[in-house]
Parts: sequence; structure tokens; C-alpha cells
Amino acid sequence: MIEITDLRKEFVLSKQQRKELNTKDSIATAVDGVSFTCKPGRVFSLLGPNGAGKTTTLRMISTIFKPTSGSIKIADVDAVANPTEARKKIGFLTGSTGLYARLTPNEVIKYFADLYGISKDEFEERKERLYTLLDMHDFQGKRIGKLSTGMKQKVSICRTMIHDPEVVVFDEPTSGLDVITAENIIKLIRDCKDQGKTVIFSSHIMSEVDLLCDDMAIIHKGRMLFDGTMDEFKNQMEAENLTAEFIRIVNATKNH
Amino acid sequence: MIFTIFKKELKDTLRDKRTLMMMLVIPTLVFPIIMAVFMSVSASFTEEAANKEVKIGYVGQKDNYVINHLDNLPESYGKKGLYAYTDSIQLKKDIHNDTLQMGIYIDAQFDKDMSNKRPAKVKVFYNATDLGMEERAKAYLETIEDLALQERYLDMELDASQLRPIETDYNNVASGKEMIGKLAGGFLPYIFIAFGFLGCMYPAIDLFTGEKERGTIETLLTTPVARWQILFGKMGVVVLSGLVAASAALLGLFLSIEVLDLVQNEELLDIIHGILNPTFILTLFLLLFPLTIFIAGIMIPIAVYAKSFKEAQSIITPLNIVIILPAMVGFFPGIELNAVTACIPVVNVVLATKELIAGTLDYGLLGLSFAVMMLIAVVAVFISYKRFDKETNVVL
Repeated sequence: MIEITDLRKEFVLSKQQRKELNTKDSIATAVDGVSFTCKPGRVFSLLGPNGAGKTTTLRMISTIFKPTSGSIKIADVDAVANPTEARKKIGFLTGSTGLYARLTPNEVIKYFADLYGISKDEFEERKERLYTLLDMHDFQGKRIGKLSTGMKQKVSICRTMIHDPEVVVFDEPTSGLDVITAENIIKLIRDCKDQGKTVIFSSHIMSEVDLLCDDMAIIHKGRMLFDGTMDEFKNQMEAENLTAEFIRIVNATKNH
Repeated sequence: MIFTIFKKELKDTLRDKRTLMMMLVIPTLVFPIIMAVFMSVSASFTEEAANKEVKIGYVGQKDNYVINHLDNLPESYGKKGLYAYTDSIQLKKDIHNDTLQMGIYIDAQFDKDMSNKRPAKVKVFYNATDLGMEERAKAYLETIEDLALQERYLDMELDASQLRPIETDYNNVASGKEMIGKLAGGFLPYIFIAFGFLGCMYPAIDLFTGEKERGTIETLLTTPVARWQILFGKMGVVVLSGLVAASAALLGLFLSIEVLDLVQNEELLDIIHGILNPTFILTLFLLLFPLTIFIAGIMIPIAVYAKSFKEAQSIITPLNIVIILPAMVGFFPGIELNAVTACIPVVNVVLATKELIAGTLDYGLLGLSFAVMMLIAVVAVFISYKRFDKETNVVL
């Protein structure tokens, strides 16, 4: 379970950043009063255009960023007060996630297992299961720099799941991937759901959201525009399709 | 956890060819290359100087006292050829264009002054940019002058020893080790600092900016490891790389002397053996350790702040000068380790190493230098921690 209440994140802008953003404000609010709940066994999608605040929200959930105000609960752990404990329950994967090119998949997986403090037996059992599931045995000892994008993506998935997290956070996980490689991610999200894990993923691709999610929130300029189930969203649609409805909702804020 | 991160970063670093070049290959080769080049250049200079015929032009009679004796000087003074000139203008012109290397102008009154036992005048022309020519001219003329003096004593029936009321015997009490330490000892710490810096540079950029640029830092930050532990694990590798680079330079020095036999002078070899003892190496590392932490501590905030490898490199490279310039203080003779210089970071390490080589190190001042370096290293680590803890710096 992820419970977000009145989440807010401000960044202090440097002189250079103010110049670049063409603003006189010394503070930029990336996320402004966002609240939602992601339930176990369901896939929650955070939808929004580029710069909406999706990544900042997910970074706060995964404790990379500390919120300016508001609360985050990850599987009943207060992630703001006790980030180290919360991290044990989170698996984090982004579309831009890199891997250590000079290491092998075996070395990377072992490294992360050690960082999560997994026992040797547990590690061996999970590694074997994930390697079989993802068909990774053939390239487990090769340097990551020499692997294809698809193979790298499998290593990333394995790294994310090696500690069997209760909550999985995906930040635009399919961005930049071809359909075959993206399929691995989609399969992973479905598997997580089937295993009763809490899944949150961000996207700006409506078709992907429609394919996977049970619940969704639309975020724009750091504010929530919609929070409900996918069915509720479809029922209250005014436009002819999901993408058009998403665009309509985002554009409606410009008129206010 | 710190050790887990350290182990992984070390493995990653040791697989980076660029870092290996900077950390091991170049520092190991630098001393053998410098010494081999120095030895071969100096040997070829000596050989060339011995074989080179110095063309000496003169204005005056061929049977003149000076020219005659000059012509008869043995070849051990170096090969020479004498060429008669009619005027000093052409003589000087030919020295300028290197047709001649030396010119001698015999005063018209020379023979008369010699017979009258007055100082007979001789002008010597040389080009000071032609290294060693002034010394060679002095060697020729002083020998001839000495001959003339002996002849004059004989002629005047004087006892030469009576004309020398005081016989001074100059004695250098400094040992060879002390001389090398004080005069050339600055070179050694300079090399260690330079390579310590280069050894730290690539791992610092790769492990901080590189991780940010490659997009691996985000996942690392979502693991249940405190940021200071991540910082310390990575910093450990940066410091170790700097120390390994400095050690590789020391190894290169050892190989040059003991394996490649690049030092032929027995006396010098004995002095070097006296310097390179375990106490010297241990004390050197005692000083290099906080210095490397300090270097890592000033590089890491930059590497954390930079958004790309290129940006980090462009900021850190000029920083080299900030570290190397104080290290150059070691080249100046006369600047010694005292209570003031012991408090100046980097300078204190160089001066303490110089004193250590010379065998004149005051251990109280060594302690002060070490304490100052440790203090500044702690400050640098603290700054690194503050930078690394700033979330906007760590994630792109």
C-alpha cells in the first residue's frame, strides 16, 4: 500500500536556473498538494504531460527526494521519517535506469542483494527463479556493456525484484524501448499485480495506461486533476477516446 | 555496507582502462622514462662536449704567449681549433652566428706588459647561451694564467708559498643524503602529489558524475543504505586510487634504480639506498594518506555538482594547479619546515618529505603537519558529505 497525503515539493532556484526558466521566483513548486492511495494487487498509474511532476512524485515515494511537506506511507512505514526502512519495501525502475557496464549481470544482482541485506539462501533461490523467468542464464556472466537493450532491461528488472519488494515504482518504464523490450516491462507489471504487490507507474502514453492500470491519477503542473479508478475515468469521459480525454482535461486547466 | 560499496566500486574502477592507465601504468613508467631520458641526454651531452671541437678565433700574433700556450694545451681540455682574425668585429660576428664558439683578443700592449711584469690584457668573447662555453674559456685562460704566474715567480725568485699567507680549506659538513634532500628532495613529493591527484581524478569523476550521467545513482539511492555510507564507500576507492598511483610512482623509482640500473654513480646510489628505507616509505605514506583524502575531498563535491563527465573534467583539471603550485614550493632551496609552514596544507607535506629525505625531520613538526592535513581532510570530507546529501546535486 502507498498512501500519499497532501504532498508538496519545492525547489530553490539558483540564479542560473531562474534565468533559464525565465522567472523571478526563487522557488519552484514541482508538486503541490498531491494525495492518492495505491492499493495492493492493483496497478496505479500516474499520468501527466512532460514536466507535470510525475518523476518528482515518484522520487519522493522512493525516498530519493524529501518532501517539503505532506506524508508518504509505504506498506505502513512512514517514508519521510524512516526512509531506510521504507526503501527495503520498494523496488524502483525507470526507463532511463542505467546499469554498471563494466560489471556482469551476476555481479550487479549480487551487489544489490547485498545492499538489501538478503541472506545467501534467499538470494540464490530468488536469483534462480528470476533468471529462469527472464531467460537470463545465457548472458549472466557477460559484461553488461556488451548486452543488447533487451538483455539490459531484463537485468534491470531482476535487480528491481531481487529483494521481493512489496511496492514497485516504475517511472516511465517503457520510454525509449522498442515494443518487444517494452513487453518485458508490461509482463513484469502484470506479474507484480498477480502477486498482490502494490504497483505505481508513471506514463504519458494513454494506451499503455489503458492496457495496465486499475486506478489512475492525472497530474499537471504539480496538481491533481483526476483521482479514481480507470472505470470511473472512462464513465465520465467527454471526449471520444482516452487520449483525447486526457488532452481535454489537461487543456481545461489552461482556461482557469 | 560501506565495504560492499567499496568492493563493487573497486572492481568497477579496476575494469576501467582509462583509470588503470592513470593509476598504474603512467605513474610506474614516469620515473624509468624520466631517468632514462635524463641519463641518455646527459651522457650524450658529455660525450658531445668531449668530442666537439671548439673553434677559437683570435686577434693577435700566432706566437703570442696566450695563443702559443693555448695551442699546446693537452686534448684533455677538449678538442679545439685556432683561427686567426684581423679584427674583433668579425670575430664577434662569427661567435654570434656560431662559426666560432670563442674569441680571444690580445691587447696590442700585451707583450710589452708581460716583459714589464705588468698585468697583460686579454679579452675573451663567448656566447653565454652556448652552455658550458664560459666555463671552458675560464678553464683555458686560468691554466695559462697559472703558468704565467709560476714563470713570473721563478723569474722574480719568489717563493710561491710565501705569497699565500692564508691557506683556506673549505669543508662541507652536510652529508650527501642531506644535500640531495635539501636541494633536490622537493622533486620527489611533487611527483607523488601530482600522481596522487591524477590517480584520484578519474575514479572521482567516474564514481560520482559518471554514476549520475549513466543513470545508476537513482537506483542506488533507493536501496536501504545511508547516503554517507555510499559516499564513504566510493570515497575509499578514490583515496585508494590516489595512493596506488603515488605508490606506483615509488615503484617506478625503485625499478629504475634496482632493476633497470639507471643510476650508475656508486656514491649517488649509496645515498639513494640510504634514503629509500622502510621508515622513509612509512612516514611518506603517513603524510600522503591525509593529503589524498584532502584531494579526494575537494574533487568529490565538484564531481557531485557536475552534470557530465566533461564538465567535471573541465573544473577538476585546473584544480590541479591549485594543488601542484604549493607543491612546487619544495623546489625552492631555503624554505624549510617550521611552525608556520607546517600549518600550510600541501606545502607542509612537501617540506616534511624534503626534511625526511635529508634526515633532518623534526618529528614534532611532522606531527603538526599530519594534524593539519588530517583536519583539512576532515573538512573536505564534510564538504563532500554536504554536497552528496543535497538531493538536487545527486540526481540529474
